[in-house]
Amino acid sequence: MKRREFLGRAGAVGTMGLAGGLSAPALLSGVGRAYAAGDDIPVGLLFSLTGAVAVVEHTLHDAALMAIEEINAAGGIHGKQLRPIIEDPASDPATYADRARRLMIRDKCVSVFGSYTSSSRQAVLPVAEQRNNLYWYPTLYEGRECSRNVMYGGALANQQQDILIPWLVENYGPRFYMIGNNYVYPKEENNYCKTLLKDLSGEVVHEEYVPMGHSDFSSVLNRIRAEEPDVIFSTLVGDSDVAFARQYHAAELNPEKMPVVSLTRSEIEVKAIGGEAAAGHFSSAPYFMGHESPENEKFVEAYKARYGADAVTHFVNEAAYFQVYQFKNAMEKLDPADVSPPNIRDAAVGMSMKAPQGEILIDENLHTHLWPKVAQWQADGQAKVILQSEERVAPKPYAAYPGQECTGKGLVKT
Amino acid sequence: MTNKLSYDIIGLALFAAVILFGVPAFFGYDGFELNTFSRYLSLAIVSMALALSWGTAGLLNLGQAATFGMGSYAMAMHLKLKASGEGLPDFMGWNNVETLPALWVPFHSLTFTLLAGLLIPAAVGGLIAIFMFRARIAGVFVAVITLAFLVAFQLLVIEQQGFTGGQNGLTGLAQLELFGWTVDIYATSFYYLVGICLMVALTVGLYLTHSKFGLILRAIREDADRTRYFGYNVANYQTVIFCISAGLAGWAGMLYALVLEFASPTYMSVSFSLAIVIWCAVGGRESVLAAAAGAILVNLAENRLSDVFVEGWHMMLGVLFLLVVMFMPRGIYGVIVDAGRALRRKGGGDAEEPAYDASLKSKQEG
Repeated sequence: MKRREFLGRAGAVGTMGLAGGLSAPALLSGVGRAYAAGDDIPVGLLFSLTGAVAVVEHTLHDAALMAIEEINAAGGIHGKQLRPIIEDPASDPATYADRARRLMIRDKCVSVFGSYTSSSRQAVLPVAEQRNNLYWYPTLYEGRECSRNVMYGGALANQQQDILIPWLVENYGPRFYMIGNNYVYPKEENNYCKTLLKDLSGEVVHEEYVPMGHSDFSSVLNRIRAEEPDVIFSTLVGDSDVAFARQYHAAELNPEKMPVVSLTRSEIEVKAIGGEAAAGHFSSAPYFMGHESPENEKFVEAYKARYGADAVTHFVNEAAYFQVYQFKNAMEKLDPADVSPPNIRDAAVGMSMKAPQGEILIDENLHTHLWPKVAQWQADGQAKVILQSEERVAPKPYAAYPGQECTGKGLVKT
Repeated sequence: MTNKLSYDIIGLALFAAVILFGVPAFFGYDGFELNTFSRYLSLAIVSMALALSWGTAGLLNLGQAATFGMGSYAMAMHLKLKASGEGLPDFMGWNNVETLPALWVPFHSLTFTLLAGLLIPAAVGGLIAIFMFRARIAGVFVAVITLAFLVAFQLLVIEQQGFTGGQNGLTGLAQLELFGWTVDIYATSFYYLVGICLMVALTVGLYLTHSKFGLILRAIREDADRTRYFGYNVANYQTVIFCISAGLAGWAGMLYALVLEFASPTYMSVSFSLAIVIWCAVGGRESVLAAAAGAILVNLAENRLSDVFVEGWHMMLGVLFLLVVMFMPRGIYGVIVDAGRALRRKGGGDAEEPAYDASLKSKQEG
């Protein structure tokens, strides 16, 4: 599958090589450093199209690509078309680092959109910071990061949990059973949840982490049956989440008595689980496919038309989609001669736009103000929003760490 | 033998010329290409290290990535401590680790780190080797045991999040300061540092294979029992080469962590370990030079293919490997050796053929 114009690129690389061979000093002195000086605007798409996380990342790629195509069809930015340069990092951090270098150094992309897992973001981070480029990361994540070179589009712990936990304690009870995969995101979310539970005089009856990809939950379910918690607080991801949901269903536990409340389960996982087994459980996220807004109707319709009637949108590919528009809005604010990654970042700060989930805003700490929602899964695989934050919630990447704050000037100790 | 030595020295000189002069001249000292190449060169070291144990002594080490990973973590631990200043590395806070684990403390010192990156992998390799070779384990069982060790070790690193950073590995590293020189991985000087490391490793490798030590290793490869009856302590020889190979892999790992600016448990994955075997096989496991060249060529091919065929490149590489295994079982090295032999034979044949023709002619005339 050739997604690029092979001849055009080969030609360009050839000339670059020739120029390099003939005039190495010219390259060193910074000729050709200007961003987007050509007829189009190169942007990188760095989502895994193959490998372990491709099932999710491909949908992020699709949403971002669709936004680029929409922008191009509407005439581009300042009359210039966006040129998406697609790379496949194959779910491997070392390959992420390599491809990020390609996009940011060789191809001189003004921005790169990419990745789902924390490990891949952190593989890209050194290159983005060293080259002062801009990396648009659409995924919810554990926080405690304050880079000036990453635009964070996903929800943080405070945006996922602040309305969720009090509501759960009130409606289901204070006894939480924590189950997650063994890596940084579940641990950090659970740390934050514990601080909230402390104020609500809730308790954690058990905290458990299973390896990535773990798929046998019989012993976990036995312990759940014995402990009888009020809430099963889940940060399982991917295959583990799917396996857990199915086995919970097979074990005939009752979602009305002890529902699984997930921070990571979206339409895409539910599609794999099956609506029947997912029904009755909850997820907390800023966006669900069934959310009612004109922007979302347009987004879902366009997405289905482009990728098939059974394609689903979810809270990560919604962010992958709106981040491209945030990028566009920032670019339009800039004089074409001033285009550079740091200038795009500065122009983007404070900018608001109507996204499918609601009107969002980019904070000076480069995270996004979002609209938290809690939804209950239905047998048809869709989520019904039952609780919605009354106001937009500001991102606090250091919410669990008093004394530290991420601001427009980077990390500040107060 | 001396003939072969001179070929190898010429090969090394050619290789050094290409790496140290050819590549920078061709790619115009551009930060991106040289940076990509320094990655290949560090991988070439781990590939040539495998050639030492696999090609020379016949010990197929499928756990090469484990010792490689140890080296990369040693380097990353030093740089992480440097980046954290007075405080604890950030991921320890996430895992509620309150004080710096004793394991981490000595990595404040650069000298310790450089030695540890070389000696810890060597020691671990040596320990496994002692158990294996004292028990006279050989052949496919060496591969199975080393593979099992790799899987167990990777799992341990991922599980011990508070000490290792778990799935994410060690990220957010400082720049290395080597005797007052701050290492910029995009600078030409860094490329030369990695290039020179590779040349040193290759020289060590060539010296070992051409020494009496190498001769005995080859004897062990061909027939371990017979070598034992000659009075050589086979297990000791195997252990030493296993140690050296593991140490070189650790060294390569340190360079790799520098190039990519993070250490990840994926460096210790089974797929990465098998990739090393593939590079070694494509180049030719009988020669350290060929194994190093194999690593560079395969990675270069992967890079160029993935640049053009965004999604299809995995398949193409797979087909390429299949073809190599089927038609070039000794790798590129085997093809070159065979071609050289054929040329020589043809040269000899040319001298005889006229005589034969003449006799034939004279017969016909007669």
